[in-house]
Order: sequence, then C-alpha cells, then structure tokens
Amino acid sequence: MIKVRAVFEKKGRAKYISHLDLNRCMLRIFRRSKLPIWYTEGFNPHPYFSFALALSLGFESDCEVLDFNLNEELPFDEVRDRLNAVMPEGMRVSSVSEQKMKITEIAKAEYDLYLLSNDYEKFGNAVDRLMAQPEILIEKKTKKGIKSVDLKQSIELLSAHPIGDIFKTFKMTLRLPAGTQTNYNPNLFLDALRNNQDQDFEILKISRTGILCENNEIFL
Amino acid sequence: MLRNKIEKLLLSVQKPSRYIGGEAGSIVKDKSKIDVRFAFCFPDTYDIGMSHLGMKILYSLINERENYWCERVFAPAEDFENLMRENGIPLYALESLEPISDFDFIGFTMQYELSYTNVLNMLDLAGIPVFARDRGNELTRIIVAGGPCVCNPEPLADFFDLFILGEGEEVNLELMDLYLRHKKAGSTKREFLREAAQIQGIYVPSFYHFNYKEDGTIESLETSDGAPSVVKKRIIKDFDKVYYPDNFVVPFTEIVHDRVSVEVLRGCIRGCRFCQAGFIYRPFREKTTETICQETHDLCENTGYDEVSLASLSTSDHSEIDSMLESLIDYTEGERINLSLPSLRVDNFSESLLEKIKKVRKSGLTFAAEAGTQRLRNVINKNVSEEELMNTCRIAFEGGYSAVKLYFMMGLPTETDEDIVGIADLAQRVVDLYYSIPNKPKGRGVQVSVSTATFVPKPFTPFQFEPQDTREEIERKQKLLVDSVKTKKIKVSWHDPNVSILEAVLAKGDRRLCDVIYTAWKNGCKFDSWSEYYKFDVWMDAFRECGVSPEFYANRRFEYDEILPWDHLDYYVSKDFFIRENKTAHAAVTTPNCRLKCSGCGVSKCIGGSCFD
Repeated sequence: MIKVRAVFEKKGRAKYISHLDLNRCMLRIFRRSKLPIWYTEGFNPHPYFSFALALSLGFESDCEVLDFNLNEELPFDEVRDRLNAVMPEGMRVSSVSEQKMKITEIAKAEYDLYLLSNDYEKFGNAVDRLMAQPEILIEKKTKKGIKSVDLKQSIELLSAHPIGDIFKTFKMTLRLPAGTQTNYNPNLFLDALRNNQDQDFEILKISRTGILCENNEIFL
Repeated sequence: MLRNKIEKLLLSVQKPSRYIGGEAGSIVKDKSKIDVRFAFCFPDTYDIGMSHLGMKILYSLINERENYWCERVFAPAEDFENLMRENGIPLYALESLEPISDFDFIGFTMQYELSYTNVLNMLDLAGIPVFARDRGNELTRIIVAGGPCVCNPEPLADFFDLFILGEGEEVNLELMDLYLRHKKAGSTKREFLREAAQIQGIYVPSFYHFNYKEDGTIESLETSDGAPSVVKKRIIKDFDKVYYPDNFVVPFTEIVHDRVSVEVLRGCIRGCRFCQAGFIYRPFREKTTETICQETHDLCENTGYDEVSLASLSTSDHSEIDSMLESLIDYTEGERINLSLPSLRVDNFSESLLEKIKKVRKSGLTFAAEAGTQRLRNVINKNVSEEELMNTCRIAFEGGYSAVKLYFMMGLPTETDEDIVGIADLAQRVVDLYYSIPNKPKGRGVQVSVSTATFVPKPFTPFQFEPQDTREEIERKQKLLVDSVKTKKIKVSWHDPNVSILEAVLAKGDRRLCDVIYTAWKNGCKFDSWSEYYKFDVWMDAFRECGVSPEFYANRRFEYDEILPWDHLDYYVSKDFFIRENKTAHAAVTTPNCRLKCSGCGVSKCIGGSCFD
C-alpha cells in the first residue's frame, strides 16, 4: 500500500460541490481513472481517501489536499495525469506526491477575498479601523452552541487594497487558524466588517490559496 | 452576463450544484459552430429529472451530432425560482448557462400528468408565452413534448407546437434535420409545422379541430394543412442496435436514481389491463446479453458509478435472464459494482434468480399483487396466483428476508368489499406463512407493508373506458381495509385519492382542459406531484371557473363507440382489441401473455407479422 497526497484546485462551477458531494464525486473520479486505489478491508469495503481540510461551499481553492492509498507504485506524474483526464470542469490536480507531513501539522490557511464596494476609500478605512481595535469579538457557532471569540488574536491581515483600474474590486489576503484544533472561516471577518463597522459590500470571490503549518511553511 | 447573476444567488439556495451544471459527462460546445440548439426540459426538479433514462439517451444522441447541441433544463425548486423571478433571471440551460427563450427547440418530457403545471411555469419563467397561439409565426423556439403522457396530449394541446409520439431515437433527429432545412430556407413556423406533420410520429395539434356534441362527448375531428387524419407512433425496429449512450452526466448532488441504468428490454408481454406502459411501449423487444454487458461495461467505466440497475418493465421476462445475469454478475463482482434489479415479477421469480440477487445485495422485496382476490386479479389480468406469491415469499423468508412490501390498487373495475377485505386477508396469510417456516430468520418479526394506490383509468389500456371510483367510495374502502387488518405486523399506507382524481382527469381529458390547467397554474398550482405543494381546492376552483366538470372525465364510463380524445393517435394496439379485452375483463377471464399466445392486439403488423420468432 502506497500512501499518496494530491493537491487539487476547485474553481469555477466546481466551487458549488459541497463537501459531502465532493466525497462521492472523488470516488467516481477514482473509478473513472482506473487507478489501483486501495479499498478498506472491512465489512463494507470502500476506497479510502481523506480530505485534509474541508472547504466552505462557494469558496474556490488552489490547494485542496487529498490523501489516498494505492495498491501499487506508479509515477506521481502519471497518477496526476490520469486523475486530470477524468476530472469535472473546475477541478484539476496540480501535484501528486508522498505524504510528507502529518495532517495534524496543519495550523493555518490563507485566503484571498475579492469584494465589491461603493466607496473603496471608506471601505479601506473601515478595514484599518477594525484591525486597529484591541479586540474583534465575534459570535462563532460551535458544536456546544454560540461562543464569543476574539478574532484579533488569531487573524493575520496580510494585505488589503483596491485592485483594477476600470473594474475595481477590493482584495484582502487573510491568514486564519485552520486544522483539527481551531478553524476560522474568513466569513467571520467579513461579518465583523458588516456588523462592527457597518460596511455594505458584495462578495465577489473567496479563494483558499494556501494550507500552512504553524511556522507558515506550506503543508506538503 | 447571466452566469454572474446566477452565481450571486446560488449560495442562498438549497443544493446549489443543481443550478450550475459542470458535471462530469455534461457536454459544452462552441455555440458559434452550432446550427440547432435543443433545450431538453424535465418538468420537475433536477434530483428527479436527472434520474430519467429517456433524457440521458436523447441528450447523448443529439449531442453526437457535431452541429446540434442539446442542453438540460429542470424546474428550479421554489427557493431558487423566487430568487430568479426577483432578480430577472430567465430559465436557462445548464450547459451554456444561457436563457432558453431563443433556443430552436424547447422539448419537454411528459412522464406524469401532475407535472403539467410545471411546464407552464417553466415556459413562463423562460419568458415565453404559454399558449402556442401567442408565440407568433417566426421559425424559432419550437415547443415540443414526448413521453408516455403524450399518448393523450389533448389537455396540453394549446401549449405545444407539436408532440412526438413513440420512441424518439430516430424521429428527434429527423425533426431537427427538417428544422435546419427550413431555417436555412427562411421558412415560417407554420411552413415547418406543415412538413413536420408529414413525418411519422409527429402530431401538430393546431392542425386538428374537435367538434363536441351537446352531451360533451366528441362529435367529430377535422384536420387542416394536409395533416394526416391518424398519427402513428414511432417504433425502433432493431432495438438491439438502437443508439445507447456510453456515458451519462454524473451529478454532484445525490439524485433519486443515482446509478447507471441499462435498458434490457422495451415493451411488455404481460398485458395487465390497467397498465398503460404495458401497451404503449409494445411491441416487446429485448437486447442481447452481449449488448447489455457491453453497455453496462462502457457506462460503468465512463461514469465511475459503482451501481448499475437494469431498466425495463419486467426484467425477468428477458428470454436469457439467467445467463444474462450470470455474465453481468461476473463483471460487476470483479469491479465491486452493485447490481440492482427492479421490476422482477413474482411468477417467474426462481430460487436460482433469488440466489443471484442475494449474492449482489440484500434489499427489500416488493411484490405488486395489485388485487386482493384471485377473481379481481383475473379481471385486471395480473396473472399471479396466490400460490405463486406465497411460494416466492417462502423462498424469500427462508433466504433471510423478513420484510415484504405488497402493492395493491383500490377502485379497480368490478371491485367489491370482498376484494378489499381480501387484501388484508392476503397480507395476513403472508404473516402466517412467515411464522410457519421453521428456518425463518431468527429473532426477527415479520413486517408486511401494504401499499395501496387508487386505480386511475388510462388511455390505451383496456380500462380506458372505465370510470374511476369517487373520492367518497375510495375513502370508504380505505377505512374498510384498515378495519380489516388485525395485526401490527401489517402496515397499511395509501396515496391521497385527491391526487388520483386529478390524474384520471388529466389522463383522459380533452382540449377543454387546457384552460383548466392554465387557470390552476395562474392561481398558484405547480409541483402537483409533491404533496406539500398540491392544492386540490385550487384545482377544483379552476374547473368551476372554466365550466369544466372533472367528473365528466374521471367518473363517467366512456362508451365503446364514443370518439375518444386520443382516437386519432395510433399506438398500433387497436381500439377493437381494447374493447375485446375490456369485455373479457368484465367476464373475469384472463388473457395469456404474448409469448404463450398472440392475442392479436395489432402491434405485430408494425414489425412485419410476429413479435416472437
């Protein structure tokens, strides 16, 4: 049994595939690819595969991580090409490799957010004001109910500025806790902008651009 | 761009992947290279429509042609429809995400009567006038329909430009070819329709005019524009060689039948007298084992599904059923594919067949007994004896099953209270059988589910003349059945009789129902087959408003010599045969299946003499 890790994009129409549906979709992709995927050996054998980090419905991603096992060794490039030959529109494997790190090493994720606003200057100021606050309290739904947390402690705003000349959008790059322990959705920050700073804007696109370890190294 | 407008709303609706396309197997073409665009519409939601085999066949068939493009369209669920209307998003096709209003063809498949209002709603959502007469004479967006319901298309006649009768694999392309010729020649719609009406299988309702008698029955039918006085349905002669897709669109979200379907046979030899499918899909034709295995193999490989189901009206009537299943299981087992076999009949359910199914998967067993007494089963020509049913249950119980579902109909012609009590008695005998078996499953009680539907008389059946029971009568019989059941091991369930009444009216209706359907839809009816949306009162108001009596269609006996609303459509089974069978039914005499003895229904003439070699 060979342990394999694939990194894939989920963009365009594919961003509306829910996490649950992605499982089924991936199962069929593997079957179409005819790769010698390893099946579990229990009462109800099924191909084993696991997604490192769930992606919210509607988010795009450059870097979804999928782990699976193969019964025989194959060149990684061949595995990638055979998967890409049968992927639906918007999904594409960028790399296939061995599983270098443990899933538990995932600590953060980076997101690009593209927003539309009526007044980019005012909007930029609001972002600055929010980040200048000593704390950003938000309500977060957890399994135990609604919990109030301070986003300020864990959010890293890497950049925030309008882009484009004729067609303007506001682009922000955020780094948030992710992984098996704490998971913050970038929408929490947008909610804070709406509620705390009274900002009105439209979300054009949210895209996950990186899955990182504690020391900001890319998860591999 | 429409796509941007759509995407803005998708995260606010349930199961958004239903509205954006992009599934594996979906076909996107360069529209600048396309001559004819076809919007294949299923008048229900994606989850249901995507399960429909006919759509998969015709979608792939049309798209095989480089210069034709067939796209899929479904009825949006209410949440998305509201948002679409609020935001000015017209009904669009899933592949191009472009509005369907200027497609060349907008084709609906009519699978059940209760989807009629959805057709109007979808046309309206597309920004297209629902009445054909309001759509002008320009050659564009020809609105067509096919499927089983169009064997009596009259209740829909005012909404469609033409209907496609029978099997579509050949005629759909012929129709599109004709359209392309007319498009290039700059013809009007009427010029195109005139020529289309000459193709076998094409019925252009605007060329047919009904006159009615004072009592409401049909006096006469006149044709115009050179249309034939009788329109014959289309049949595929060489069914084994007929086009079958080697790939399906594989949805992301779960749909009702989320698996590969392989059609093993078409038509039915049984001749159950209530069953429309049993007559309109005649003659009986089957695919060879080789073809079935090849199609199963190709579809599983290309879609990645790990489940395959055999589609037919009665799979066990395949002449090579045992060897066919053996070959199939050889393949599916090796590939870890589940094989499911719906539509197995009780009477030829052999022990070896059961063994094979068990090898595949242990699922519930369902038997359509249809009636509670042998007399009534003879009336409806359901040639299943109680002994056979008990035998099958015994085999099933001994094989480890402990739950059985029994299907019945209520309100069948000649039915008496004795027949209703007979349903409970039969279920009781199945319960008793279970406890009499020494090697029954250990530690488990038996569960017999009795599911009853209300009989709906349908065109092109021997029971097309029959009245339906009134609602009061059905409700009385339901109560009688419940009172006759003495144990909790038998669970009784039934369909809402109000739904069956509308089904009967729409199935047997004529053109005067077009206005009723329009009025019902205008007043808010849609998704009538979904109990949470069904508005019986609004329908009844629509009948009153249009001065049309539902009882005239549902509860009246249609006379043998009456001109029926579908008499000008020829499905090759003759009216004389239906009259003969109706009389035989009232004498409680059965008719043997087609393989045992030809009963001269008339269909054999279309394939050159004999249905079986």
